[in-house]
Amino acid sequence: MDEVFELDEDEELSLLETLDHVLDHGLVIAGEMTIAVADVDLIYLGLNLLVGSVETVNRVLGERERRAEFPRGRALARPEKATEEGEGTGEGG
Amino acid sequence: MSLYVYCLGDELTAESFEGLRGVGGAPVCVLATGGLAAVVSEFEGEAAEVSAANVRAHNRVNALALARSTPLPFRFGTLAGEHRLAEYVAANEGALLDALARVRGCVEMSVKVRRDAGKAKVKRQKARGGDEEAEAGRDAAAGVDVLKGSAGAGSGTAFLLAKRREILGDEALRRRAEEVAAWLAAGVSDFVRESSVRVGPSESLAVRAAHLVEGVRLDEYRACVHELIGERAELHFLTSGPWPPYSFSRIERE
Repeated sequence: MDEVFELDEDEELSLLETLDHVLDHGLVIAGEMTIAVADVDLIYLGLNLLVGSVETVNRVLGERERRAEFPRGRALARPEKATEEGEGTGEGG
Repeated sequence: MSLYVYCLGDELTAESFEGLRGVGGAPVCVLATGGLAAVVSEFEGEAAEVSAANVRAHNRVNALALARSTPLPFRFGTLAGEHRLAEYVAANEGALLDALARVRGCVEMSVKVRRDAGKAKVKRQKARGGDEEAEAGRDAAAGVDVLKGSAGAGSGTAFLLAKRREILGDEALRRRAEEVAAWLAAGVSDFVRESSVRVGPSESLAVRAAHLVEGVRLDEYRACVHELIGERAELHFLTSGPWPPYSFSRIERE
């Protein structure tokens, strides 16, 4: 993740925009989206710009904490990772 | 071993992705599933790490797909076995084909409108101040003993007054964001097939809009947005695209 901190502002913006699109939207197969979010903390800490990605990151991190507190389903076996299942629909982004 | 899934399409061929590496450096390939083609790569492990390299790899594959036709992109981190993927496509084929028809020939363009964080804070304080004075007048007229600030008030009262000011400030910001969203929507309406807009998601980010724009009208759309940006010097705009239609790939479950 050192790469994140070597980016100049334009590159960082570009990465954040990409992150914002690919994490927040798109098709989802219920229960099949599993991401490791440990490094997102580093991206978050490197931010000086308030763009949508911050909210995405907050939501993912919040979800991780919630699942760690109340583990169930897949998260029960892997509480260190967040499993996202769309925005209340389960499938279809 | 599972598959990392990038996107679905009905006009995607294996030749388009020849030699391309995806998430984790794995070769990208195309898998026929039902009447659709899925762009995938093999993936080892239980979860896709959110790293700059992986996020870029995910987007690189979908951007290449977009250069060939308009795909339905999956979210980052979608892993599925071949059987599970086939099952998903079979169960939702009608909805997926409808979604593909809806976005065909289009790209997603993004417009984010930010207030300057410093200015937003000042405006917020002014909004609170103005509302507080107006409220003080209303309360005094109603014979209510108004507590100015927190002087003489208990900590509970001070907290409630502060909370009230915060809520009123938030409402003022939201109204302002809604005005900006309406202005933007009206400005681009001639060039946009569909929009997905979120208003006032945070204090500094006023509007977050995704526009589905036909590829052949992209230049007109860009010129229009450029002109709109010139009209509102007090706002900051962050525009990006073309993207695969991430914000327009939702389907109704079948």
